[in-house]
Amino acid sequence: MTALRRTLDFVYLASGVLAALCLISILLLIVLQMLARWTGEVAPGIPEYAGYFMAAASFLAFANALNTGSHIRVSIVVNALSQGPRRLLNIWCFGIGALIAWYFVYYAGRFVYWSWKFKDISQGQDRTELWIPQSFVLLGAVIFAIALTDHLLALIFKGDHRIARNIEDQSFGE
Amino acid sequence: MEDLNIIILFLFVLFLLLGSGVWVGLALMGVAWVGMELFTNRPVGDVMLTTVWSASSSWTLTALPLFIWMGEILYRTRLSEDMFKGLSPWMAGLPGGLVHTNIVGCTVFAAVSGSSAATLTTVGKMSIPELRKRAYPENMVIGTLAGAATLGLMIPPSLTLIVYGVTINESISKLFFAGILPGLVLAAMFMAYVAVMSRVSRRWNPNPEPPMTFGERVSNSRFLIPVICLILVVIGSMYLGYATATEAAAFGVIGGLVLAATQGSLTWKSFTESLMGATRTSAMIALILAGAAFLSLSMGFTGLPRGLADLIAQMELSRFELLMVLLVFYIILGMFLDGISSVVLTMAVVEPMVREAGIDLIWFGIFVVVVVEMAQITPPIGFNLFVLQGMTDHEMGFIAKAAFPMFLIMVLMVFVLILFPELATWLPDNIRQGPG
Repeated sequence: MTALRRTLDFVYLASGVLAALCLISILLLIVLQMLARWTGEVAPGIPEYAGYFMAAASFLAFANALNTGSHIRVSIVVNALSQGPRRLLNIWCFGIGALIAWYFVYYAGRFVYWSWKFKDISQGQDRTELWIPQSFVLLGAVIFAIALTDHLLALIFKGDHRIARNIEDQSFGE
Repeated sequence: MEDLNIIILFLFVLFLLLGSGVWVGLALMGVAWVGMELFTNRPVGDVMLTTVWSASSSWTLTALPLFIWMGEILYRTRLSEDMFKGLSPWMAGLPGGLVHTNIVGCTVFAAVSGSSAATLTTVGKMSIPELRKRAYPENMVIGTLAGAATLGLMIPPSLTLIVYGVTINESISKLFFAGILPGLVLAAMFMAYVAVMSRVSRRWNPNPEPPMTFGERVSNSRFLIPVICLILVVIGSMYLGYATATEAAAFGVIGGLVLAATQGSLTWKSFTESLMGATRTSAMIALILAGAAFLSLSMGFTGLPRGLADLIAQMELSRFELLMVLLVFYIILGMFLDGISSVVLTMAVVEPMVREAGIDLIWFGIFVVVVVEMAQITPPIGFNLFVLQGMTDHEMGFIAKAAFPMFLIMVLMVFVLILFPELATWLPDNIRQGPG
């Protein structure tokens, strides 16, 4: 059990770190593009690559952001309830959340599979085989769905999920 | 609308999922799924993936994490000490005294960060204790801070405006420039209020500041000047057409790192913290955007946006009346939902309405942002109120009451914006054509 716990926590963290590396890559790509423009060179496909890294950075960080309480939810009802009903409502939220996430994963799997099967290629100048960047979206979605399920199970069997609300991160939504 | 019942069911699901506390992005996806199943025969899952993929892998979106990162880096420098020390000598002579450091400080930090809570903590961390020491009236200290921190949404870089621009496909640089003048006007209005109150209020009796020579003032603000230069470079490079919003953001990140390094506050810890913070926050927003992209597609199939636009057209509301309706609508929505979610949730429905009425969408972006800002300082879930509660240990009621005059000033700002639309449209109309 503890081994599983440790593995899962490692996976959440690792995907978050991978997402952070994607963010650094975006920065480097954009700097590269500016340098290219100033020196009159052509650097084709950079906007597309930056877009792929953007998608990867977002999806890979979903689980990590969930664990740190950064994702926004309307908590006014949840906070108003007492312990027992709150737990039930939270079970509903994590249940629905996990359901939607796994649904997404299923179709993301198909999406990547068909891209790979038909050798879908980007319309832009980069001519990337699309299944490669799309796989990171799938990977991130899988980890996110696992995280949601993880918290759901903790709620059901241990009585509470392990997320504290992170006002500072959430404030960016304002 | 013949299938009114289905529409009601659709809206019911929307309120149920959002209201019960399902994470906004996932809730929007779920609602969109229901809408697609009810109104179309398309393969819903596959459509969802295509939509989410193209929305998530957009180049325009990359400005978002970079601007967040820039703010996170500077937030972790010693900016908050420098801010108070650097600004106070210049403000001491104004009527209203050092309370102005709250407003000007927030304006400056708003140009660094797109988050109002970060603005609030950076400025408030130093200014609240310092102002208390000098016996300024507590409600003015708290109120101005709550109000001015909302400037973060208006003065570029503004995350809400990036999200708005991505949602309706408008240029982010243009939206940024549209926000500058209204942001400054709003700041000036806050300052005017402080100046008036300092003369009128009987409780206004702060300790005077020791006089300072010009040289001392400059030396006190020497740490602040590089930050202001960085802001000018970031904004100026966009305005002069040297850089797109994303490229300006990249400038900002590198400039921020250099600044932090020269101050000696760039450690491995602060670097990774800022990076991870930016990664999480941008993922949070990306999840909402992914859900919203799917929802706006689904909304289109429900016929709701078209129907409402026709309805509004039939009612022959004047432009002003429509804006008033939207004003009330957004204030109510903002009481329950954060700014970005309310923007992306409603734009699919509101955009056709607003276009129909012939309202400029750049201008409307600023209008929405001002209205959404108000929600931050109104109970029950005003974010700034929460943050201030954590910082000051005051009761929510006291903070909300202190912030209420600022709310009224923002309402006034909405009317100023309606009367003088050029405030928002003049700068973007005169922007130099950029590289794309």
